[in-house]
Amino acid sequence: MSNMVHEKLPCGIECAVLPLATRRVVAMQIRMLGGCCSDPSDQLGLAHVVNETIDKGTTARSGRELSDAFDAIGASTGSGTGRETITYTCTVLPEHFERAVALHADFLRNPTFPQDAVDVAIDLARQELTALQDDAHGLLDKYLGRHAYGAVLGRHALGEVEMIDRITRTSIQQYWRDYFCNGRMIVTVAGGIDPRRVVAILDSNFSGFGETASAGREGYPVGFAAQTKHHDKDLEQEQIGIGWPGVDATHDDYPTQQAVIGILSGGMSGRLFTEVREKRGLVYWVSAWSETPRGAGMMFMGASTTPQRCEQTFRTLLSEVERLSDDLTEEELERAKTGILASHETRGDTTRSRCSELASDLFFFGKPVSIEEKIAKLEAVSVADVRRYLQSYPRDRLCVVTVGPRPLENACPSNPENAGAS
Amino acid sequence: MSERNTKSPYTVAHLDNGLTVVVEKMPDVRSVAAGFAIKTGARDDPKGLAGISHFLEHMMFKGTAKRAWQQITVDFDRMGSQYNAYTSEDRTVFYGWVRTGDLERQLELLADMMQSTLPPEEFATEKEVVLEEIAMSADQLDHVAFDFLQEKVFENHALAWPILGYEKTLRPMTRDQMWTYFKKRYVPANMTLVVAGNVDPSEVLALAERYCASWKTGDPGDQRVPATLATGVATLQVERFQQQVVALSFPSVGAFDSRVETVSAATTILGGDNSRFFWNITQKGLALRAGAYHMDYTDCGVMILYGTCEPSRCEGFLDALRAEADHICKEPVTSEEADRVKNKRRTSLAVEAEAPYYRLTQLMDDMEFYGRPRTVAQRLAQVDAVTPETILEYFGTHPINIQGHLTSVGPRMWPV
Repeated sequence: MSNMVHEKLPCGIECAVLPLATRRVVAMQIRMLGGCCSDPSDQLGLAHVVNETIDKGTTARSGRELSDAFDAIGASTGSGTGRETITYTCTVLPEHFERAVALHADFLRNPTFPQDAVDVAIDLARQELTALQDDAHGLLDKYLGRHAYGAVLGRHALGEVEMIDRITRTSIQQYWRDYFCNGRMIVTVAGGIDPRRVVAILDSNFSGFGETASAGREGYPVGFAAQTKHHDKDLEQEQIGIGWPGVDATHDDYPTQQAVIGILSGGMSGRLFTEVREKRGLVYWVSAWSETPRGAGMMFMGASTTPQRCEQTFRTLLSEVERLSDDLTEEELERAKTGILASHETRGDTTRSRCSELASDLFFFGKPVSIEEKIAKLEAVSVADVRRYLQSYPRDRLCVVTVGPRPLENACPSNPENAGAS
Repeated sequence: MSERNTKSPYTVAHLDNGLTVVVEKMPDVRSVAAGFAIKTGARDDPKGLAGISHFLEHMMFKGTAKRAWQQITVDFDRMGSQYNAYTSEDRTVFYGWVRTGDLERQLELLADMMQSTLPPEEFATEKEVVLEEIAMSADQLDHVAFDFLQEKVFENHALAWPILGYEKTLRPMTRDQMWTYFKKRYVPANMTLVVAGNVDPSEVLALAERYCASWKTGDPGDQRVPATLATGVATLQVERFQQQVVALSFPSVGAFDSRVETVSAATTILGGDNSRFFWNITQKGLALRAGAYHMDYTDCGVMILYGTCEPSRCEGFLDALRAEADHICKEPVTSEEADRVKNKRRTSLAVEAEAPYYRLTQLMDDMEFYGRPRTVAQRLAQVDAVTPETILEYFGTHPINIQGHLTSVGPRMWPV
């Protein structure tokens, strides 16, 4: 952390730079604190369309000229619309970093949102929603998010088909004015580059871009309700998703929650893979994962199986998480922790991964967090901590979602509300 | 053991039993990736046993003389290994990516797995897992479309059947059939051990000797036959899907061909992120996605132009694909287009050099297609040799403005 730079630049951007002297690339991530939770409630999908059109023309360049300019420096770029952010990523050779920042500044600051590009983006958004119907996992993800998180955090980035036509060039421009400014920007950079140079380049390219006061730092409320929902769909397999509230990324219990996920689903020796797939042959895909929007946490388990094995798969998933308190061993916990710790030196050690992790630190904690600190907290997790965690956050109220040819029977009798098929 | 050391970062050696060992030293990383590539895949599945290579890949995790299946996964996870396996048409790969200090444990475990006992008591349960994988694949439009394309384009050839096989070939498959196939194909002469990371090559070679030298030699009995691509039209109507996948396939060069970087550049110019298809097809609203993909095998290749569109837009989309194909066959691409592709390739090579797992997969490709690792300088030289003229020459010998093979999968019975 000694050479790390973290500061709010004079232009208003919150920035952190991690110099990695031996690396031959530089990775940058820009998180604009907007996202689909900021969509107007009658134009869900707007942030996604803004993101799809923002680089299709600027006051200086056409969309194609902009793409050509990125390609001319060999930049590997990407973007994505999430619940709470719109994210831009870029990897370049160090000698092209300054140019890459200038090009990002061009489209983020000076978009013209050409009408023809807007028309195409709206049409493609409608097609994306249709294509989602051909993606069984994607559908489960959409419905599980909607039912587990509630009205705001449960929005899907693509929006809803009945609202797409309400999006206009005017509403796109308004969203951009409201949510694209330096005060809402978190920028992280990692790689073979001098941090002071990065700071100077960012500040000069973005100086004067909208509001400088920090904004968009708060999360959104979770509207969790225990429920069982089935979405009928002609599929070979039934998709099963189960969600329940957990803790957020800054909570003291978060490292324990990470360990629980590791025990359930960290590797092929994880409980779900072992019990659901390898011992019983019920599934090919089975997993547990957690999501942590700011200020909230949600635990999930999911599996897909042919309809006649749906009930058994569901019961096995639930029983595995329930018996954790009874028979968890020290060795099992150590294995789960080792999986997380080792990943810092394998796939987590690429320049892109380090940059992305730094961006998450700023997003959740408002500051960089050293790997040593994260490791120490995870290493301290004990079997007793896991048991206490499981008691503190019980699975007595579940959000259960199925997508496929048939609903579960008596999925969760204890759930206070038990809605029928939709 | 024969050994060949050069000034390059690579070491290539052969154990006496025929196992090839390849090591790349990466001094700037903290980890190491190790893996076995076996030259056997779906195209080697005996007739009537489609899916056996892939099912075997699953069974390789199920037990050895030293370890029960639970112990295999526990031992991987004790190291925090990022591990997995996959089967393609041409090969099967098992790998683990670990912290540098865990190299020996990782290599010993992978080597032990290669001597699997294929426990008979696990056979039926694991078959159910594979059948679930087949069912899952049937719910994914892209998978259904790709399998259909392979089936039709490679009609009557071993490349025609899906990697996962069919329920009708999996159900009657026996453990004895798998054992026979395993003992024939998983012999040292048909296998390559690749290690990339911050390691001492001589230590890796000593470990390879320790854990693999006792393996018995054998003849894999390679009987691969080059494929001939079919022309024509094939439609698969699946009413439960909403979108239509439309694809055109044309004969191309194999992965060993010296023009492979030229072909890669051509596909990027046609169907990459900032490509002709993106601006002239997707951004015209003709299709949700449109791309070009070069499928390369050891002895043949296919250039595929494809996309996903609304069923009512198939005609317009196909016309646009054919128009772009005709254009690139007749007019040279601009030097700016060629340069842009080359610039992106330089960045991707620098990114690849950071991660031992990325290098592992590239080294496996190099060994299979070139018989030796290629240095970054060698690969850059091949990239730099690409010009508008070489691209035009390629399309002169492998045109894509001919009939080719059209496949269409989705809710619409089109073309009828």
